[in-house]
Amino acid sequence: MTNPEDLETRLKIAKSKLQNKNTKDNGEKGIFLGNAFKLGTELVAAVVVGSIIGFILDNWFGTKPILIIIFFLFGSVAGILNVIKAAKRMQKNRD
Amino acid sequence: MATNPMHQFSVHKIGPEIKINGIDLSFTNASLFMLLSAIFILLFLLFGTKEKKIIPGKIQLISEILYNFIGKMINDTAGKKAKPYFPFIFSLFIFVLFCNMIGMLPYSFTVTSHIIVTLAFAMFIFIGVTILGFVIHGFKYLKIFVPSGVPIVLLPIIMIIEIISYLSRPISLSVRLFANMMAGHTMLKVFGGFVISLGLVAGWLPLTFSVALTGLEILVAFLQAYVFAILTCIYLNDALNLHH
Repeated sequence: MTNPEDLETRLKIAKSKLQNKNTKDNGEKGIFLGNAFKLGTELVAAVVVGSIIGFILDNWFGTKPILIIIFFLFGSVAGILNVIKAAKRMQKNRD
Repeated sequence: MATNPMHQFSVHKIGPEIKINGIDLSFTNASLFMLLSAIFILLFLLFGTKEKKIIPGKIQLISEILYNFIGKMINDTAGKKAKPYFPFIFSLFIFVLFCNMIGMLPYSFTVTSHIIVTLAFAMFIFIGVTILGFVIHGFKYLKIFVPSGVPIVLLPIIMIIEIISYLSRPISLSVRLFANMMAGHTMLKVFGGFVISLGLVAGWLPLTFSVALTGLEILVAFLQAYVFAILTCIYLNDALNLHH
């Protein structure tokens, strides 16, 4: 037969543990949602920037469609690179 | 006009027109709500830090939580070296947060739903961080465009890609905040319009959605401010701790 005081302290410890776990989980969920928002625009922005650079360079050199196509492709690569970098950062934060 | 979901984003002048050297500097509703957020932040933090009790009151508690939250975030993402930039990141976070939250009130204006506002923030951060990187590391800062372990044949292509990736930072930073805020507010207005047009018969369904979306929008308003601040920290980290 355990004494009631012992039980009370054990209950208190268990409750505080549970509470800590819950708040931590909620915070993490919010951060995951934030990360999800981050990834989408990361991909698009690089494509936009690449295309704009291509467009400007095309206007300078008068090589209308060639550079914009090349820089669009570069931009897509950079976008994927951005997403990979962000994902790696997220993974590092989790460990 | 009232049913147009984009009407809420229109900027109009309040008071007299002010023009200096052909640049329109009139006071608009956007300026009014920026000023309001600044005043609210000042009042909130003043009340929060007025009585420094050991057992904090509600306002003191919230401001202390905010302080700790940002302090921890900077420490986790940018390390100890970023401590001097705490005031900048804190004011950035709290200003974006208050602009977003004040925008959630009915009849108010969301400053951050205009790309020019968010782009101005983002360009300021981008240029500031770039200058900081060059001041701290000199021309070695250009090394962030040259990842280690790349064959020399591929280097020119990788460098172009890295430069595009670097230049895309302000765009992604500003477009994310602007698009989220604008899309959310448009959606709320559209659902609100459905409630009116469907009336008592079927208007309850969009009303339920509207209530749920309001909750979601408050979450998004907080999260976007958080993401904005944490990305600033990450960019600051890249400039402060150059790694190869």
